[in-house]
Amino acid sequence: MGNLLSLKDVQLYYDHVYALKGVSIDVNEGETVALIGANGAGKSSILRAITGLKGIRSGSIRYDGQSIDKAGPDVIVRMGISMVPEGRRVFPLMSVRDNLLMGAFTRTDKAEIRQSLEMVLARFPRLKERYTQAAGTMSGGEQQMLVIGRALMARPRLLLLDEPSLGIAPKLVQDIARSIVAINREDKVSVLLVEQNSRMALRISQRAYAIATGKVALSGNSAELLEDSRVKDLYLGGEV
Amino acid sequence: MEQVVVNGLYLGAQYALIALGLTLIFALMNVLNFAHGQMYVLGGFVTYTIYGQMKLPFVLALVCSGLTLAVVGAFCEKFLFRPVIRRSKRDESTMLLAAAIAFLLDAVILLLFGEKQRGVPKIINGVFLSDTIVMPYDRIVVGVVAIVMIATFVLYMQYSKTGRAMRALAQDRVAAQLMGVNVERYSMIGFALGAMLAGVVGGLLVTITGISSGIGGPISIKAFMMVMIGGAGVVGGAIAGGFILGMMESVGLTVLREFGDITYLVIFVCLMVFLSIRPNGLMGKPWG
Repeated sequence: MGNLLSLKDVQLYYDHVYALKGVSIDVNEGETVALIGANGAGKSSILRAITGLKGIRSGSIRYDGQSIDKAGPDVIVRMGISMVPEGRRVFPLMSVRDNLLMGAFTRTDKAEIRQSLEMVLARFPRLKERYTQAAGTMSGGEQQMLVIGRALMARPRLLLLDEPSLGIAPKLVQDIARSIVAINREDKVSVLLVEQNSRMALRISQRAYAIATGKVALSGNSAELLEDSRVKDLYLGGEV
Repeated sequence: MEQVVVNGLYLGAQYALIALGLTLIFALMNVLNFAHGQMYVLGGFVTYTIYGQMKLPFVLALVCSGLTLAVVGAFCEKFLFRPVIRRSKRDESTMLLAAAIAFLLDAVILLLFGEKQRGVPKIINGVFLSDTIVMPYDRIVVGVVAIVMIATFVLYMQYSKTGRAMRALAQDRVAAQLMGVNVERYSMIGFALGAMLAGVVGGLLVTITGISSGIGGPISIKAFMMVMIGGAGVVGGAIAGGFILGMMESVGLTVLREFGDITYLVIFVCLMVFLSIRPNGLMGKPWG
Protein backbone atom coordinates (compact mmCIF):
# COMPACT_ATOMS: atom_id res chain seq x y z
CA MET A 1 0.00 0.00 0.00
CA GLY A 2 2.04 2.93 -1.26
CA ASN A 3 1.65 6.50 -0.22
CA LEU A 4 -0.54 8.40 -2.70
CA LEU A 5 -1.01 11.83 -1.17
CA SER A 6 1.00 13.49 1.53
CA LEU A 7 0.54 16.93 3.09
CA LYS A 8 3.42 18.10 5.29
CA ASP A 9 2.99 21.02 7.65
CA VAL A 10 0.70 22.91 5.27
CA GLN A 11 -0.18 26.49 6.17
CA LEU A 12 -2.89 28.36 4.29
CA TYR A 13 -4.16 31.90 4.75
CA TYR A 14 -7.10 33.89 3.44
CA ASP A 15 -5.60 37.37 3.33
CA HIS A 16 -4.20 37.67 6.87
CA VAL A 17 -6.46 35.12 8.52
CA TYR A 18 -5.08 31.60 8.85
CA ALA A 19 -7.23 28.62 7.86
CA LEU A 20 -4.56 25.93 8.22
CA LYS A 21 -1.60 26.26 10.55
CA GLY A 22 0.56 23.26 9.93
CA VAL A 23 -1.52 20.31 8.73
CA SER A 24 0.06 16.96 7.91
CA ILE A 25 -2.07 14.15 6.55
CA ASP A 26 -1.51 11.09 4.37
CA VAL A 27 -3.67 9.04 2.05
CA ASN A 28 -2.39 5.65 0.97
CA GLU A 29 -3.27 3.85 -2.23
CA GLY A 30 -6.67 2.13 -1.91
CA GLU A 31 -7.67 3.80 1.34
CA THR A 32 -10.71 5.79 2.36
CA VAL A 33 -9.61 8.52 4.72
CA ALA A 34 -12.05 10.82 6.51
CA LEU A 35 -11.54 14.37 7.74
CA ILE A 36 -14.01 15.21 10.49
CA GLY A 37 -14.46 18.35 12.52
CA ALA A 38 -16.66 21.33 13.17
CA ASN A 39 -17.71 23.94 10.67
CA GLY A 40 -14.80 26.30 9.94
CA ALA A 41 -12.16 23.95 11.33
CA GLY A 42 -10.30 23.96 8.02
CA LYS A 43 -11.45 20.72 6.42
CA SER A 44 -12.55 22.32 3.16
CA SER A 45 -9.40 24.44 3.05
CA ILE A 46 -7.38 21.22 3.00
CA LEU A 47 -9.26 20.11 -0.12
CA ARG A 48 -8.90 23.56 -1.71
CA ALA A 49 -5.17 23.35 -1.13
CA ILE A 50 -4.90 19.89 -2.69
CA THR A 51 -6.94 20.81 -5.79
CA GLY A 52 -4.95 24.00 -6.36
CA LEU A 53 -7.98 26.26 -5.96
CA LYS A 54 -6.10 28.07 -3.19
CA GLY A 55 -2.33 28.43 -2.93
CA ILE A 56 -0.61 27.42 0.30
CA ARG A 57 1.75 29.68 2.23
CA SER A 58 4.19 27.02 3.39
CA GLY A 59 4.62 23.29 3.72
CA SER A 60 4.40 20.77 0.90
CA ILE A 61 1.82 18.68 -0.92
CA ARG A 62 3.06 15.60 -2.73
CA TYR A 63 0.98 13.31 -4.88
CA ASP A 64 2.29 10.12 -6.41
CA GLY A 65 5.85 11.20 -5.63
CA GLN A 66 5.55 14.63 -7.26
CA SER A 67 5.22 18.04 -5.66
CA ILE A 68 1.86 19.56 -6.63
CA ASP A 69 1.62 22.59 -4.39
CA LYS A 70 2.32 25.04 -7.24
CA ALA A 71 0.02 23.42 -9.81
CA GLY A 72 -3.33 24.90 -10.88
CA PRO A 73 -6.66 23.04 -10.74
CA ASP A 74 -6.63 22.03 -14.40
CA VAL A 75 -3.20 20.40 -14.05
CA ILE A 76 -4.18 18.56 -10.89
CA VAL A 77 -7.29 17.02 -12.48
CA ARG A 78 -5.09 15.71 -15.25
CA MET A 79 -2.85 14.04 -12.67
CA GLY A 80 -5.78 11.97 -11.43
CA ILE A 81 -7.29 13.91 -8.53
CA SER A 82 -11.01 14.62 -8.88
CA MET A 83 -12.99 16.78 -6.52
CA VAL A 84 -16.66 16.73 -5.61
CA PRO A 85 -17.17 20.27 -4.33
CA GLU A 86 -19.30 21.28 -1.39
CA GLY A 87 -22.84 22.38 -2.19
CA ARG A 88 -22.90 20.09 -5.24
CA ARG A 89 -22.26 22.74 -7.90
CA VAL A 90 -23.77 21.02 -10.91
CA PHE A 91 -23.85 23.02 -14.13
CA PRO A 92 -27.51 23.92 -13.62
CA LEU A 93 -28.59 24.65 -17.20
CA MET A 94 -26.76 21.71 -18.72
CA SER A 95 -28.27 18.26 -19.11
CA VAL A 96 -27.15 15.34 -16.97
CA ARG A 97 -25.36 14.03 -20.03
CA ASP A 98 -23.44 17.26 -20.65
CA ASN A 99 -22.55 17.50 -16.95
CA LEU A 100 -21.07 14.01 -17.08
CA LEU A 101 -19.21 14.76 -20.30
CA MET A 102 -17.71 17.85 -18.64
CA GLY A 103 -16.30 15.46 -16.05
CA ALA A 104 -14.35 13.80 -18.85
CA PHE A 105 -13.10 17.16 -20.14
CA THR A 106 -9.43 16.23 -19.73
CA ARG A 107 -9.81 12.96 -21.68
CA THR A 108 -9.74 12.52 -25.42
CA ASP A 109 -10.36 8.79 -25.85
CA LYS A 110 -13.94 8.80 -27.16
CA ALA A 111 -14.58 5.07 -26.85
CA GLU A 112 -13.27 4.91 -23.31
CA ILE A 113 -15.27 7.99 -22.31
CA ARG A 114 -18.38 6.17 -23.50
CA GLN A 115 -17.35 3.19 -21.38
CA SER A 116 -16.95 5.39 -18.30
CA LEU A 117 -20.32 6.96 -19.03
CA GLU A 118 -21.95 3.54 -18.98
CA MET A 119 -20.15 2.62 -15.76
CA VAL A 120 -21.33 5.79 -14.04
CA LEU A 121 -24.91 5.30 -15.25
CA ALA A 122 -24.80 1.71 -13.98
CA ARG A 123 -23.58 2.94 -10.59
CA PHE A 124 -26.29 5.65 -10.41
CA PRO A 125 -29.31 4.35 -12.36
CA ARG A 126 -31.29 7.43 -11.30
CA LEU A 127 -29.07 9.52 -13.57
CA LYS A 128 -30.06 7.37 -16.51
CA GLU A 129 -33.72 8.26 -15.93
CA ARG A 130 -32.82 11.95 -15.85
CA TYR A 131 -30.31 11.77 -18.69
CA THR A 132 -31.54 14.72 -20.79
CA GLN A 133 -33.00 16.78 -17.94
CA ALA A 134 -31.36 20.06 -16.87
CA ALA A 135 -29.26 19.33 -13.80
CA GLY A 136 -30.56 22.36 -11.91
CA THR A 137 -34.08 20.95 -11.87
CA MET A 138 -33.17 17.73 -10.03
CA SER A 139 -33.44 17.02 -6.29
CA GLY A 140 -30.48 17.54 -3.96
CA GLY A 141 -29.78 13.83 -3.71
CA GLU A 142 -29.84 13.37 -7.47
CA GLN A 143 -27.53 16.33 -7.91
CA GLN A 144 -25.12 14.80 -5.40
CA MET A 145 -25.11 11.56 -7.39
CA LEU A 146 -24.48 13.60 -10.52
CA VAL A 147 -21.46 15.44 -9.12
CA ILE A 148 -19.96 12.20 -7.82
CA GLY A 149 -20.54 10.62 -11.23
CA ARG A 150 -19.09 13.70 -12.91
CA ALA A 151 -15.94 13.42 -10.80
CA LEU A 152 -15.63 9.72 -11.69
CA MET A 153 -15.78 10.58 -15.40
CA ALA A 154 -12.24 11.93 -15.10
CA ARG A 155 -11.19 8.37 -14.08
CA PRO A 156 -9.43 9.55 -10.93
CA ARG A 157 -7.00 7.66 -8.73
CA LEU A 158 -7.93 9.88 -5.81
CA LEU A 159 -11.45 11.20 -5.21
CA LEU A 160 -11.95 14.17 -2.89
CA LEU A 161 -15.45 14.58 -1.48
CA ASP A 162 -16.47 17.76 0.33
CA GLU A 163 -19.53 17.27 2.56
CA PRO A 164 -21.44 14.87 0.28
CA SER A 165 -24.21 14.37 2.88
CA LEU A 166 -24.88 18.06 3.49
CA GLY A 167 -28.51 18.96 2.84
CA ILE A 168 -29.44 15.50 1.57
CA ALA A 169 -32.50 13.52 2.73
CA PRO A 170 -31.41 10.97 5.42
CA LYS A 171 -32.51 8.03 3.31
CA LEU A 172 -30.29 9.14 0.45
CA VAL A 173 -27.30 9.68 2.76
CA GLN A 174 -27.21 5.89 3.16
CA ASP A 175 -27.24 5.46 -0.62
CA ILE A 176 -24.43 7.93 -1.08
CA ALA A 177 -22.37 6.32 1.70
CA ARG A 178 -22.83 2.97 -0.01
CA SER A 179 -21.76 4.41 -3.37
CA ILE A 180 -18.60 5.83 -1.83
CA VAL A 181 -17.71 2.42 -0.39
CA ALA A 182 -18.38 0.79 -3.76
CA ILE A 183 -16.27 3.35 -5.62
CA ASN A 184 -13.41 2.68 -3.22
CA ARG A 185 -13.65 -1.14 -3.26
CA GLU A 186 -14.83 -1.93 -6.78
CA ASP A 187 -13.37 0.90 -8.83
CA LYS A 188 -10.15 0.94 -6.74
CA VAL A 189 -10.28 4.69 -6.23
CA SER A 190 -8.67 6.11 -3.10
CA VAL A 191 -10.98 8.50 -1.26
CA LEU A 192 -10.45 11.52 0.94
CA LEU A 193 -13.79 12.36 2.52
CA VAL A 194 -14.64 15.58 4.34
CA GLU A 195 -17.78 15.24 6.46
CA GLN A 196 -19.62 16.90 9.29
CA ASN A 197 -21.66 13.72 9.59
CA SER A 198 -18.80 12.17 11.56
CA ARG A 199 -20.52 8.89 12.33
CA MET A 200 -21.14 8.13 8.67
CA ALA A 201 -17.62 9.22 7.76
CA LEU A 202 -16.00 7.04 10.44
CA ARG A 203 -18.10 4.03 9.45
CA ILE A 204 -17.06 4.04 5.81
CA SER A 205 -13.38 5.03 6.22
CA GLN A 206 -10.37 3.10 7.38
CA ARG A 207 -8.51 6.02 8.93
CA ALA A 208 -9.56 9.50 10.00
CA TYR A 209 -8.22 12.84 11.10
CA ALA A 210 -10.15 15.17 13.37
CA ILE A 211 -9.43 18.76 12.40
CA ALA A 212 -9.85 21.63 14.85
CA THR A 213 -8.87 25.29 14.37
CA GLY A 214 -6.61 24.60 11.42
CA LYS A 215 -4.71 21.68 12.93
CA VAL A 216 -4.96 17.92 13.23
CA ALA A 217 -6.39 17.37 16.72
CA LEU A 218 -6.68 13.58 16.62
CA SER A 219 -5.94 10.86 14.14
CA GLY A 220 -6.12 7.13 13.90
CA ASN A 221 -8.05 4.09 12.91
CA SER A 222 -11.69 4.97 12.16
CA ALA A 223 -13.18 2.03 14.04
CA GLU A 224 -11.20 2.99 17.13
CA LEU A 225 -12.05 6.69 16.80
CA LEU A 226 -15.72 5.75 16.65
CA GLU A 227 -15.32 4.33 20.21
CA ASP A 228 -12.97 7.06 21.47
CA SER A 229 -14.58 9.06 24.27
CA ARG A 230 -13.11 12.38 23.08
CA VAL A 231 -14.47 11.83 19.58
CA LYS A 232 -17.83 10.76 20.98
CA ASP A 233 -18.12 13.93 23.04
CA LEU A 234 -16.87 16.33 20.41
CA TYR A 235 -18.06 14.96 17.09
CA LEU A 236 -20.71 12.34 17.67
CA GLY A 237 -22.94 14.44 19.90
CA GLY A 238 -22.36 12.27 22.98
CA GLU A 239 -24.78 9.53 21.95
CA VAL A 240 -23.96 6.14 20.51
CA MET B 1 -47.21 44.14 -43.41
CA GLU B 2 -45.07 41.34 -44.89
CA GLN B 3 -42.52 43.96 -45.83
CA VAL B 4 -42.26 45.10 -42.23
CA VAL B 5 -41.75 41.54 -41.01
CA VAL B 6 -39.07 40.80 -43.61
CA ASN B 7 -37.24 44.02 -42.80
CA GLY B 8 -37.48 43.15 -39.11
CA LEU B 9 -36.05 39.68 -39.66
CA TYR B 10 -33.21 41.07 -41.76
CA LEU B 11 -32.31 43.65 -39.12
CA GLY B 12 -32.89 41.22 -36.27
CA ALA B 13 -30.44 38.67 -37.67
CA GLN B 14 -27.66 41.30 -37.76
CA TYR B 15 -28.53 42.55 -34.32
CA ALA B 16 -28.71 39.08 -32.81
CA LEU B 17 -25.22 38.32 -34.11
CA ILE B 18 -23.86 41.50 -32.51
CA ALA B 19 -25.64 40.75 -29.22
CA LEU B 20 -24.34 37.16 -29.18
CA GLY B 21 -20.75 38.36 -29.13
CA LEU B 22 -21.45 40.81 -26.34
CA THR B 23 -23.34 38.30 -24.21
CA LEU B 24 -20.69 35.62 -24.68
CA ILE B 25 -17.98 37.90 -23.31
CA PHE B 26 -20.22 38.92 -20.43
CA ALA B 27 -21.19 35.36 -19.56
CA LEU B 28 -17.63 34.09 -19.54
CA MET B 29 -15.79 36.95 -17.88
CA ASN B 30 -18.41 39.19 -16.32
CA VAL B 31 -17.03 41.97 -18.51
CA LEU B 32 -19.30 44.52 -20.18
CA ASN B 33 -17.49 45.13 -23.42
CA PHE B 34 -18.24 48.78 -24.13
CA ALA B 35 -15.90 48.56 -27.14
CA HIS B 36 -18.17 46.09 -28.94
CA GLY B 37 -19.49 48.73 -31.36
CA GLN B 38 -15.97 49.92 -32.15
CA MET B 39 -14.99 46.33 -32.90
CA TYR B 40 -17.93 46.20 -35.31
CA VAL B 41 -16.69 49.39 -37.00
CA LEU B 42 -13.16 48.03 -37.29
CA GLY B 43 -14.55 44.89 -38.94
CA GLY B 44 -16.45 47.09 -41.38
CA PHE B 45 -13.32 49.01 -42.33
CA VAL B 46 -11.31 45.83 -42.84
CA THR B 47 -13.88 44.62 -45.36
CA TYR B 48 -14.01 48.10 -46.90
CA THR B 49 -10.23 48.04 -47.39
CA ILE B 50 -9.95 44.52 -48.77
CA TYR B 51 -13.15 44.31 -50.81
CA GLY B 52 -13.82 47.98 -51.59
CA GLN B 53 -10.29 49.29 -52.06
CA MET B 54 -8.17 46.29 -53.02
CA LYS B 55 -11.02 44.72 -55.08
CA LEU B 56 -10.40 41.26 -53.61
CA PRO B 57 -13.30 38.79 -53.19
CA PHE B 58 -15.92 39.72 -50.60
CA VAL B 59 -15.74 36.35 -48.84
CA LEU B 60 -12.01 36.82 -48.28
CA ALA B 61 -12.65 40.30 -46.91
CA LEU B 62 -15.28 38.96 -44.53
CA VAL B 63 -12.94 36.24 -43.27
CA CYS B 64 -10.23 38.86 -42.74
CA SER B 65 -12.67 41.03 -40.75
CA GLY B 66 -13.42 38.09 -38.49
CA LEU B 67 -9.77 37.11 -38.08
CA THR B 68 -8.58 40.66 -37.40
CA LEU B 69 -11.13 41.09 -34.66
CA ALA B 70 -10.42 37.65 -33.20
CA VAL B 71 -6.79 38.74 -32.83
CA VAL B 72 -7.79 42.12 -31.38
CA GLY B 73 -10.16 40.37 -28.96
CA ALA B 74 -7.57 37.83 -27.84
CA PHE B 75 -5.05 40.62 -27.37
CA CYS B 76 -7.48 42.69 -25.28
CA GLU B 77 -8.24 39.72 -23.06
CA LYS B 78 -4.67 38.57 -22.53
CA PHE B 79 -2.89 41.87 -22.08
CA LEU B 80 -5.60 44.21 -20.79
CA PHE B 81 -8.54 42.47 -19.11
CA ARG B 82 -6.65 39.53 -17.59
CA PRO B 83 -4.18 41.61 -15.55
CA VAL B 84 -6.93 44.00 -14.43
CA ILE B 85 -9.23 41.16 -13.36
CA ARG B 86 -6.35 39.53 -11.49
CA ARG B 87 -5.55 42.66 -9.52
CA SER B 88 -8.94 44.21 -8.98
CA LYS B 89 -11.97 42.64 -7.37
CA ARG B 90 -14.32 45.41 -8.49
CA ASP B 91 -16.44 45.15 -11.64
CA GLU B 92 -16.07 48.88 -12.30
CA SER B 93 -12.40 48.41 -13.17
CA THR B 94 -13.16 46.26 -16.19
CA MET B 95 -15.98 48.60 -17.22
CA LEU B 96 -13.59 51.54 -17.20
CA LEU B 97 -11.04 49.50 -19.10
CA ALA B 98 -13.65 48.53 -21.71
CA ALA B 99 -14.68 52.18 -22.07
CA ALA B 100 -11.05 53.16 -22.49
CA ILE B 101 -10.60 50.54 -25.21
CA ALA B 102 -13.70 51.94 -26.93
CA PHE B 103 -12.18 55.46 -27.01
CA LEU B 104 -8.81 54.09 -28.10
CA LEU B 105 -10.34 52.12 -30.97
CA ASP B 106 -12.41 55.16 -31.97
CA ALA B 107 -9.23 57.23 -32.19
CA VAL B 108 -7.28 54.55 -34.05
CA ILE B 109 -10.11 54.08 -36.57
CA LEU B 110 -10.36 57.83 -37.09
CA LEU B 111 -6.61 58.07 -37.71
CA LEU B 112 -6.48 55.14 -40.09
CA PHE B 113 -9.69 55.61 -42.06
CA GLY B 114 -10.76 59.23 -41.58
CA GLU B 115 -14.14 60.57 -40.59
CA LYS B 116 -15.90 60.05 -43.94
CA GLN B 117 -18.74 57.60 -44.40
CA ARG B 118 -17.42 54.79 -46.61
CA GLY B 119 -19.31 52.38 -48.82
CA VAL B 120 -18.40 49.46 -51.07
CA PRO B 121 -19.86 48.19 -54.34
CA LYS B 122 -22.94 45.99 -53.99
CA ILE B 123 -22.12 42.30 -53.65
CA ILE B 124 -25.11 41.36 -55.80
CA ASN B 125 -27.28 43.63 -57.93
CA GLY B 126 -31.00 43.37 -58.41
CA VAL B 127 -34.09 43.41 -56.27
CA PHE B 128 -36.49 40.69 -55.29
CA LEU B 129 -40.04 41.78 -56.12
CA SER B 130 -43.35 40.19 -55.26
CA ASP B 131 -46.85 41.56 -54.64
CA THR B 132 -46.09 42.49 -51.06
CA ILE B 133 -42.33 42.40 -50.61
CA VAL B 134 -39.51 44.45 -52.09
CA MET B 135 -36.10 43.26 -50.99
CA PRO B 136 -32.73 43.85 -52.65
CA TYR B 137 -30.86 40.59 -53.25
CA ASP B 138 -27.79 41.74 -51.32
CA ARG B 139 -29.90 42.25 -48.21
CA ILE B 140 -31.30 38.75 -48.60
CA VAL B 141 -27.78 37.31 -48.88
CA VAL B 142 -26.55 39.26 -45.85
CA GLY B 143 -29.61 38.22 -43.84
CA VAL B 144 -29.21 34.56 -44.74
CA VAL B 145 -25.49 34.59 -43.96
CA ALA B 146 -26.25 36.12 -40.57
CA ILE B 147 -28.90 33.49 -39.78
CA VAL B 148 -26.57 30.68 -40.82
CA MET B 149 -23.88 32.12 -38.55
CA ILE B 150 -26.29 32.32 -35.62
CA ALA B 151 -27.27 28.69 -36.16
CA THR B 152 -23.62 27.64 -36.43
CA PHE B 153 -22.77 29.50 -33.24
CA VAL B 154 -25.63 27.90 -31.31
CA LEU B 155 -24.73 24.41 -32.55
CA TYR B 156 -21.08 25.02 -31.73
CA MET B 157 -21.90 26.10 -28.17
CA GLN B 158 -24.29 23.19 -27.73
CA TYR B 159 -22.36 20.28 -29.18
CA SER B 160 -18.63 20.97 -29.39
CA LYS B 161 -16.28 20.30 -26.52
CA THR B 162 -15.07 23.90 -26.52
CA GLY B 163 -18.66 25.17 -26.50
CA ARG B 164 -19.54 22.88 -23.64
CA ALA B 165 -16.53 24.09 -21.68
CA MET B 166 -17.52 27.73 -22.26
CA ARG B 167 -21.07 27.04 -21.08
CA ALA B 168 -19.72 25.27 -18.01
CA LEU B 169 -17.42 28.18 -17.29
CA ALA B 170 -20.32 30.62 -17.51
CA GLN B 171 -22.53 28.52 -15.22
CA ASP B 172 -20.03 27.68 -12.49
CA ARG B 173 -16.49 28.96 -12.76
CA VAL B 174 -15.04 26.94 -9.88
CA ALA B 175 -16.71 23.70 -10.89
CA ALA B 176 -15.44 24.19 -14.45
CA GLN B 177 -11.91 24.65 -13.12
CA LEU B 178 -12.27 21.42 -11.15
CA MET B 179 -13.18 19.64 -14.39
CA GLY B 180 -9.84 20.74 -15.81
CA VAL B 181 -10.98 23.77 -17.82
CA ASN B 182 -8.16 26.28 -18.05
CA VAL B 183 -10.01 29.50 -17.23
CA GLU B 184 -7.47 31.84 -18.81
CA ARG B 185 -7.34 29.93 -22.07
CA TYR B 186 -11.11 29.70 -22.44
CA SER B 187 -11.65 33.32 -21.45
CA MET B 188 -9.32 34.26 -24.29
CA ILE B 189 -11.08 31.97 -26.77
CA GLY B 190 -14.44 33.41 -25.70
CA PHE B 191 -13.31 37.01 -25.98
CA ALA B 192 -11.79 36.35 -29.41
CA LEU B 193 -14.99 34.65 -30.56
CA GLY B 194 -17.18 37.49 -29.27
CA ALA B 195 -15.04 40.15 -30.93
CA MET B 196 -14.94 38.09 -34.12
CA LEU B 197 -18.75 38.08 -34.31
CA ALA B 198 -18.79 41.88 -34.01
CA GLY B 199 -16.19 42.15 -36.79
CA VAL B 200 -18.06 39.81 -39.12
CA VAL B 201 -21.32 41.74 -38.75
CA GLY B 202 -19.40 44.95 -39.45
CA GLY B 203 -18.03 43.33 -42.61
CA LEU B 204 -21.48 42.15 -43.67
CA LEU B 205 -23.23 45.45 -43.10
CA VAL B 206 -20.62 47.65 -44.77
CA THR B 207 -22.04 46.30 -48.04
CA ILE B 208 -25.51 47.63 -47.19
CA THR B 209 -25.27 50.68 -45.00
CA GLY B 210 -21.60 51.60 -45.38
CA ILE B 211 -19.43 52.37 -42.42
CA SER B 212 -18.17 55.46 -40.64
CA SER B 213 -15.90 55.99 -37.68
CA GLY B 214 -18.53 57.55 -35.45
CA ILE B 215 -21.12 54.77 -35.26
CA GLY B 216 -19.30 52.52 -32.78
CA GLY B 217 -20.94 54.08 -29.73
CA PRO B 218 -24.52 53.87 -31.04
CA ILE B 219 -23.95 50.24 -32.09
CA SER B 220 -22.70 49.42 -28.58
CA ILE B 221 -25.80 51.01 -27.11
CA LYS B 222 -28.06 48.97 -29.38
CA ALA B 223 -26.16 45.82 -28.43
CA PHE B 224 -26.62 46.58 -24.73
CA MET B 225 -30.33 47.15 -25.28
CA MET B 226 -30.70 43.76 -26.95
CA VAL B 227 -28.81 42.02 -24.19
CA MET B 228 -30.95 43.78 -21.58
CA ILE B 229 -34.16 42.79 -23.35
CA GLY B 230 -33.16 39.15 -23.62
CA GLY B 231 -31.26 38.80 -20.36
CA ALA B 232 -27.52 39.19 -19.90
CA GLY B 233 -25.28 36.21 -20.43
CA VAL B 234 -27.87 33.96 -22.04
CA VAL B 235 -27.44 32.86 -25.65
CA GLY B 236 -31.17 32.49 -26.26
CA GLY B 237 -31.75 35.90 -24.71
CA ALA B 238 -29.28 37.61 -27.02
CA ILE B 239 -30.95 36.07 -30.07
CA ALA B 240 -34.43 36.97 -28.85
CA GLY B 241 -33.30 40.49 -27.94
CA GLY B 242 -31.74 40.99 -31.36
CA PHE B 243 -34.84 39.93 -33.25
CA ILE B 244 -37.14 41.89 -30.94
CA LEU B 245 -35.15 45.10 -31.39
CA GLY B 246 -34.95 44.52 -35.15
CA MET B 247 -38.66 43.99 -35.32
CA MET B 248 -39.45 47.04 -33.16
CA GLU B 249 -37.21 49.20 -35.31
CA SER B 250 -38.81 47.91 -38.48
CA VAL B 251 -42.36 48.40 -37.19
CA GLY B 252 -41.49 51.77 -35.68
CA LEU B 253 -39.97 53.12 -38.88
CA THR B 254 -43.18 52.24 -40.76
CA VAL B 255 -45.86 53.07 -38.22
CA LEU B 256 -44.31 56.15 -36.65
CA ARG B 257 -42.98 57.65 -39.86
CA GLU B 258 -45.51 60.47 -39.96
CA PHE B 259 -44.53 61.64 -36.46
CA GLY B 260 -40.92 62.17 -37.45
CA ASP B 261 -37.81 60.44 -36.18
CA ILE B 262 -39.16 59.16 -32.86
CA THR B 263 -38.79 55.38 -33.24
CA TYR B 264 -35.86 55.11 -30.84
CA LEU B 265 -37.49 57.45 -28.38
CA VAL B 266 -40.45 55.08 -28.22
CA ILE B 267 -38.18 52.03 -28.01
CA PHE B 268 -36.25 53.54 -25.10
CA VAL B 269 -39.45 54.32 -23.23
CA CYS B 270 -40.70 50.77 -23.83
CA LEU B 271 -37.38 49.38 -22.61
CA MET B 272 -37.53 51.42 -19.40
CA VAL B 273 -41.04 50.23 -18.64
CA PHE B 274 -40.10 46.65 -19.50
CA LEU B 275 -36.97 46.65 -17.32
CA SER B 276 -38.86 48.07 -14.36
CA ILE B 277 -41.15 45.04 -14.59
CA ARG B 278 -38.50 42.45 -15.48
CA PRO B 279 -35.07 43.73 -14.47
CA ASN B 280 -33.38 40.47 -15.52
CA GLY B 281 -34.80 40.60 -19.04
CA LEU B 282 -36.76 37.83 -20.72
CA MET B 283 -34.45 34.93 -19.90
CA GLY B 284 -31.97 36.53 -17.52
CA LYS B 285 -30.76 34.33 -14.71
CA PRO B 286 -30.09 35.58 -11.20
CA TRP B 287 -26.54 34.20 -11.42
CA GLY B 288 -25.62 36.68 -14.09
